[in-house]
Amino acid sequence: MKKRFGLVIDQERCIGCEACSVACMQENNSCAPLIRVKTENVDQQDTPEGRFPDLKMSFLPLLCNHCSHPPCVDVCPPGALAKREDGPVILDKEVCDGCEICIEACPFDAILYNPEKEKAEKCNLCVHRIDRGLEPFCVICCEGQAIHFGDLSDPDSEVSQILTKKEAILLENPEGVEPSVYYCPPRAPRGL
Amino acid sequence: MEKEQVKTIRTVCPAHCGIDACGILAHVRENRVVKVEPAEFPNPKDRRICLRGLSSLDITYHPDRLKYPMKRIGARGEGKFQRISWDEALDTIAERFKGIAAKYGWPSIGWTLGGPGAGTTKFGAYLRLASLTGSTRVSAWGYGDAGLPCGSRVLFGSQFPYSFLMGSFLSGRSDPEIVVVWGSNPAESQPLNMMRRIMDAKEKGALLVVIDPRYTVTASKADQYLGVKPGTDTALALGIMHVIFQKGLQDVRFIKRHTVGPYLVRTDTGEFIRAKDLGAGDSEDYVVWDSASNSPKPRGASGVKPEITGAFTVNGLECKPAFQLLMDLAETYPPKHASEITGVPAQIIARLGERIGTAGSVTFVTHMGFTRTYHGDISLRALGTVAAVTGNVDAVFRGGHLPAVLNWRPFLHADSSRPSYSRLGILQLYDAIISSKPYPVKALWFSFINFLNQCADSSKIINEIFPKLEFIVAAELFMTPTARYADILLPVCTYLEFSDLIPFSYPYVQLQQKVIEPLYESRSDVKIAAGLAERLGFSEYFDGGEEGLIDLLLDSGHPSLGGITRENLKQGPMTLFRVPDTDQEIDIPFSTPSKKIELYSEALRKVGQALPVYLEPIETPLRPAGKKYPLAFIQGHSRFRTHSMFANVSSLLDMNPEPLVEINPQDAAQRNISDDVMVTVFNDRGKTTLKARVTEGVRPGVVNISQGWWIDQFEEGSVNHLTHAVINPVQEAIYEPNMHMNDVAVEVLGIP
Repeated sequence: MKKRFGLVIDQERCIGCEACSVACMQENNSCAPLIRVKTENVDQQDTPEGRFPDLKMSFLPLLCNHCSHPPCVDVCPPGALAKREDGPVILDKEVCDGCEICIEACPFDAILYNPEKEKAEKCNLCVHRIDRGLEPFCVICCEGQAIHFGDLSDPDSEVSQILTKKEAILLENPEGVEPSVYYCPPRAPRGL
Repeated sequence: MEKEQVKTIRTVCPAHCGIDACGILAHVRENRVVKVEPAEFPNPKDRRICLRGLSSLDITYHPDRLKYPMKRIGARGEGKFQRISWDEALDTIAERFKGIAAKYGWPSIGWTLGGPGAGTTKFGAYLRLASLTGSTRVSAWGYGDAGLPCGSRVLFGSQFPYSFLMGSFLSGRSDPEIVVVWGSNPAESQPLNMMRRIMDAKEKGALLVVIDPRYTVTASKADQYLGVKPGTDTALALGIMHVIFQKGLQDVRFIKRHTVGPYLVRTDTGEFIRAKDLGAGDSEDYVVWDSASNSPKPRGASGVKPEITGAFTVNGLECKPAFQLLMDLAETYPPKHASEITGVPAQIIARLGERIGTAGSVTFVTHMGFTRTYHGDISLRALGTVAAVTGNVDAVFRGGHLPAVLNWRPFLHADSSRPSYSRLGILQLYDAIISSKPYPVKALWFSFINFLNQCADSSKIINEIFPKLEFIVAAELFMTPTARYADILLPVCTYLEFSDLIPFSYPYVQLQQKVIEPLYESRSDVKIAAGLAERLGFSEYFDGGEEGLIDLLLDSGHPSLGGITRENLKQGPMTLFRVPDTDQEIDIPFSTPSKKIELYSEALRKVGQALPVYLEPIETPLRPAGKKYPLAFIQGHSRFRTHSMFANVSSLLDMNPEPLVEINPQDAAQRNISDDVMVTVFNDRGKTTLKARVTEGVRPGVVNISQGWWIDQFEEGSVNHLTHAVINPVQEAIYEPNMHMNDVAVEVLGIP
């Protein structure tokens, strides 16, 4: 069966440390992290919602969702974006002309513009690593062991196994794009 | 052109972040590290790195690194220096040390060694030199980390309580039903070693309880969060015990077997009854009330069935079992009363007491944070006592690995034919410099410590301590606020530039391998100490450099280390040997006077602290109304720094650019303070100016500034311009005096 590489991000285990962001910038030499961690429901990072002591705080790592039908690929005039057979949506920086149309088209706000290089930048799911049998760099640097990588079509893969055991959701998305990044929402506090 | 060869070398990040000691795989091209990544471990789950470790290269290749030795040419603190050679630097230091020693004695020279992290020989080299010269070792436990060991020594007889409170949890031998994280934020301060295990336990079903005045990242994972007032943890523990005892949920078997609970205490003097008090012989053995014979018996008497409650008369002496005295104390802390003190709702205290009392196993995760209060040692004892009375202390050894016990004697006492160094706690150093008590200290050497930035009462350091010093040396990576005051400044290596032995993290031993040659003229601490030793006549003690000292440590003869050599460590981490290699149960002999868990400390009866009594914090305003300084000031730890390390790393500053004072919306509204405005935080000792962050994440009445920002990163002042250097004499007598960074009162005002 055709491979479909993707991620399962367990928000229960995400401690919002941003090691993924630091790791990403170093591995990809990007102008900004291609994965970034948002504190949910608030404008200010690391800030809880509610009133003391009845508070809530959770973290949401955001990145390219490696859609099965990526709108960015369809709109790219020079054809710099492509959906690989095994799942990753990749950007060829040599071909990119910096028109920024893909940035508008992405429903997840996951493509950046590098003003210095005048080109788009996005998460390539570390294809340079996965082609050598390695996991994406953010996965091995995740402090909370919250980011899981694998083949979503293989029922025995770690990611598929997690999806059978835990409730998982997709980010809100337009019909038809089919994201490949799943999120396991944090568990509600059980109280004493 | 062909791509240059990239080779990989396994080393260890020894940053001072607990004992995570992450294995690092460094990718090297020629003499430049081009990438670091988390290295493999025998257990793949142990592979790890953090955002600071990932920023290692930003430290090694930081443009501001000190590049060569320098001497001061401006006023102290002004930051004006001139390049000199290593020979001139070391000759000058040797000469000045000899001159000062001739005038005031060698103890007047103090080695102020801060946190070496997981490193060993870089710390050991200076100790060896201090030992050989008979100078003073200034212990830095007191800069916040002395409260916990002080309390642990009273209760468990050991410097650290970790193996007792969470040993089986850390080794994976048990899955607790409840994890209580008390006064600590491992999600930011110990994410890998500790928080991963907490989350594993929670995934397996454990209930997570977090007790903290701040709603931390750790708290955000809690099933129940208790937003306690700073410095009131002991009252909370007593409230919990009140409920446990009232419902009879204590573990009587455990209390009898492992604690002093059954031992009879004279109600008039507070002393333990001894066998000699029974009227026969002169035995000092402890005495229990035997329920079978309804008479007092020495603790070890055969067939004895000790009572742990009641009141008795022995030879005319009124007495009670120590546990009864603890019950009497807890009796006075019903949840409602404990709630008034702690700010935690009474029904939560009651329910937590019930849950802890009825759970099969509870792991208490704790660290230094809540012990950085004036009576923080008692807070640790109170927490440990809750664990002990419910049988949640790991008091039985069931086989496994013992931590590596290295033989430190070559460093602590290098030449056994002569006395070693004198020792001062860091707050005792203040007195030694300011008032020559107990003796004068005239010169200081700083290594691994940003003394001015991190120690209490900055104004005192600047105005009363530094001016009294005749000579200051700092071995540093950067021009830190402390380095600016040095007379001689020496450039040290980052961890990628020298080798060291890392006996962490449990159950591994690792080698921090030199990856590249030292940059610029920087030298390793071992090489620096050796250079000075040569000039002081002790060169043979440093033969073999770093490698020689590593071998000295490995050659300890400890069975856990059997077969572990520097050569085989080069291949990767080695696992400690199981000692003893048995699954037999052995009662752990506690190193207390009674060899038991001392929930009653006879030695502390004279200061009224035999039991974990609740004593109010020294400064934290628990009744703020009408107070000049009505807000409690605390200093949490941030994931962006390890103490003051990494504060100057641009990639981390991009995410967390400046110091902020966190203040609750209620307190902010009363002062007309809104988010992001500049405010001044002040008290009688000093002030600091920085941006406000209005957040529900901190308890009303409490303000937080995360520690470690450098003085020059504040608009004005710094966190330690607000802290005090008051010594708690009990801590001084038991361990060493601690700085009470989380026991400080302040006021905050907006800047018009």
